[in-house]
Amino acid sequence: MPMVLLECDKDIPERSKHIYLKVEGEDQRDFLPISNAATIPGTLSERGCAFCGAKLVIGGVLKDTIQMIHGPIGCAYDTWHTKRYPTDNGHFNMKYVWSTDMKESHIVFGGEKRLEKSINEAFDEMPDIKRMFVYTTCPTALIGDDIKAVAKKVMSERPDVDIFCCECPGFAGVSQSKGHHVLNINWINEKVGAVEPEITSDYTINFIGDYNIQGDTQLLQTYWDRLGIQVIAHFTGNAAYDELRSMHKAQLNVVNCARSAGYIANELKKQYGIPRLDIDSWGFSYMAEGIRKVCAFFGIEERGEKLIAEEYAKWKPQLDWYKERLQGTKMAIWTGGPRLWHWTKSVEDDLGVQVVAMSSKFGHQEDFEKVIARGQAGTYYIDDGNELEFFEIIDLVKPDVIFTGPRVGELVKKLHIPYVNGHAYHNGPYMGFEGFVNLARDMYNAKANPLLKLAAKDIRGGKTQFMEAAE
Amino acid sequence: MGCEITTRDRAGVINPMYDCQPAGAQYAGIGLKDAIPLVHGGQGCSMFVRLLFAQHFKENFDVASTSLHEDSAVFGGHMRIQEGLLTLARRYPKLRIIPVITTCSTEVIGDDVEGNIKYAKDQIEKEFPGREIYIYAVHTPSFKSSQVGGYTECMLSTWKDIAKQKAEPTGKVNIFPGWVNPGDVVLLKHYLKEFGVEGDIFMDTEDFDSPMLPDKSIHTHGRTSVEDIKASTGALASISLARYEAASTVDYLKNSFGVPGHQISAPYGIANTDALLQKISEITGKPIPDSLVHERGIALDALQDLAHMFFANKKVALFGHPDLVIGLAEFCMEVELEPTLLLLGDDNTRYKKDPRILAMKDKVAWDMEVVCNADLWELEKRVKDPAKKFDLILGHSKGRYVAIDAKIPMARVGFPTFDRAGLYRHPTMGYRGAMLLGEQIANAMFTHMEYTREREWLLNTW
Repeated sequence: MPMVLLECDKDIPERSKHIYLKVEGEDQRDFLPISNAATIPGTLSERGCAFCGAKLVIGGVLKDTIQMIHGPIGCAYDTWHTKRYPTDNGHFNMKYVWSTDMKESHIVFGGEKRLEKSINEAFDEMPDIKRMFVYTTCPTALIGDDIKAVAKKVMSERPDVDIFCCECPGFAGVSQSKGHHVLNINWINEKVGAVEPEITSDYTINFIGDYNIQGDTQLLQTYWDRLGIQVIAHFTGNAAYDELRSMHKAQLNVVNCARSAGYIANELKKQYGIPRLDIDSWGFSYMAEGIRKVCAFFGIEERGEKLIAEEYAKWKPQLDWYKERLQGTKMAIWTGGPRLWHWTKSVEDDLGVQVVAMSSKFGHQEDFEKVIARGQAGTYYIDDGNELEFFEIIDLVKPDVIFTGPRVGELVKKLHIPYVNGHAYHNGPYMGFEGFVNLARDMYNAKANPLLKLAAKDIRGGKTQFMEAAE
Repeated sequence: MGCEITTRDRAGVINPMYDCQPAGAQYAGIGLKDAIPLVHGGQGCSMFVRLLFAQHFKENFDVASTSLHEDSAVFGGHMRIQEGLLTLARRYPKLRIIPVITTCSTEVIGDDVEGNIKYAKDQIEKEFPGREIYIYAVHTPSFKSSQVGGYTECMLSTWKDIAKQKAEPTGKVNIFPGWVNPGDVVLLKHYLKEFGVEGDIFMDTEDFDSPMLPDKSIHTHGRTSVEDIKASTGALASISLARYEAASTVDYLKNSFGVPGHQISAPYGIANTDALLQKISEITGKPIPDSLVHERGIALDALQDLAHMFFANKKVALFGHPDLVIGLAEFCMEVELEPTLLLLGDDNTRYKKDPRILAMKDKVAWDMEVVCNADLWELEKRVKDPAKKFDLILGHSKGRYVAIDAKIPMARVGFPTFDRAGLYRHPTMGYRGAMLLGEQIANAMFTHMEYTREREWLLNTW
């Protein structure tokens, strides 16, 4: 019974293996939705492709690197102006995108010359930039262009540049998750160890799996600075290419997003013996716990306690103001994967919010293990949810607010349900203590929006059932 | 003095102006009623395009994917087309049209899309006897043309599959505006109504601006129905307002069903709108109504306050869809703005021979450059060039940082305009569109004058 076949899925009954309704007393050892499996064609899934998992999520964050996309124009156009990851150098990463603009003749005769020319042009046009990622896309992978050979040739002719190749066409894997994996593994195998960082502290970490969404990285950096911990590399929020080549010199890998970047942490452990420590950077209790764990590793517990005390003194009263008002709010989380388990318990503990439904686009088994362990009974846990399922789930759980992407947000607006951007945030950062107050504020403002009540009102007279429900 | 037509000479693109063909095909496809386009390719090919539409319209649109994975890349994506079509047919009982839009990957693999469609249609017929769903291939490999060509291709494929017989005469006029905003569609409908002329706008995207209602019903979808398309073959005439997006469908209706076709300049600016109204009058024999003469006068009255006081001698760079850019350049000249740089963003070789560009070439009294196959780096380089000077940028939101960094006022126009609120709701076409754009330009300049303290006191008494 706890695996659920929704009414809209009666023609695709295999979907019931992906939807779990947790019952009191059960845990992830009893039931676990199937995940990281191929999407059923034509279901209006929310998933993206492997290429975007590499370029848009991880590579495109870098602040000093040309992102050369070897393929037709759409792959570049579509992964530009879709993220909010600023940098401290004027957002070079968000202003530009590069494409080899493949045409039919290159598909027929091969695109390597086109790529070589495009790479050289890009460096010529932007002479201050010396680093580049090159990505294959569906057609260039299919025709078998050897992008590594081209990169090697350019590097031999231009000794001051360095190029990283990422071969993960859109059709690889079942979702963007495959792109995270390919980029992680190729990066450590090809680039880590090439640059020696200047060590300025006795305590050094890599902070892995945080992409500076609305300044998350920059906010957490203020904590590391106050703790006297040197971050050798952020993977990849506000990061420079060469910082990521020196990851081998950190004493500890602190991992936030285990899904998109756990791979490189594991490899750093395997290849360089650097231990991995997973933390949650969203939420007061979690952030405090994370700081305590990191400080305990270095034996600087007092510094950690001091920071936590200062932050609590500054932000906890504001958080509590929102907690009082958000208590009992029913929230749905429809995002990529890890935020389900990062958020479900932190909003419950810190804000008294009840998460009633969660859908993951690209989470794996371990993500569902974590989220079911942390999440509540009576909550739906969905892998690769699609549009009709969302409508049905909304009817079942009646959420007050949904944390999801802007497109789904526009859809649920018509149902008078406010959305908060669960990917790029409304007004972040959301990480850290201050960040979680921002999240609480955005959730409160969404829920308190007077327009929702007006939307439910039928001015032709009488109250609608929705209006009564809203009251 | 004179106009030079150049072409981007770099191989690569830095900051593209247009998306790829499948994106354009999806835009045409969502204009259909009771339709869900099925994109045959990787999931990103539809996911990001849906996001793009959501950014521009602040609405959700349904587009499905065959979710091509590695096995399909090796063995072909046949089963995924069939399964995708059957899943859509089963779960969406009201569905009547499914354009199957190909992508670069599935064109390279060489899937027999037509054969798979036929197989799926047979299956659907068995499962749902008597149910008719129009399913057809739209071949849009991303390595050819651009979103402009993809839009055109989807329009033509749709008409070829649905409009197969000559319908009884309807007395209606078909208007094909090309890739425009709901605000333009509403304006064109208004014109027909004022004329007392029956007509259809293809695609009818009016509901791309859709309401929040007390009953929570969702109306965000195209309004162009199977019946509208079938009836278009019996129309009095077709008018194409977009040489690069609509002409081929108008030609199809002419060549296959004898519907007279008229290609006119996109109705941006006063004179181009005059030509549209005169054309409708000529086709229908009805006089241009007084109400539209009045609207024309209102627009002229508004623009007259701006032209020689604020717009004259201001140098403008324009980029975006070809018919929009060319039409807006003509509009600029009407209000004394000087279009000095026009950027057209794909490798269509016909732009160079466009009669409107050739006419401007004869007319301009200043240096003007038209860059074909351009990207926004071409814009940025020229804007940064100290030897050049631009007072205004007209284009879509993808060029926002060029304007922001160079501190040049920019009026957002075209698609997409996600960094300004509500623009899709307003027409750019017609008298009203010209007036609203003129005022938007003026207000962008005024705000700029204030922030830069550049003769902002001019406005103390205006």
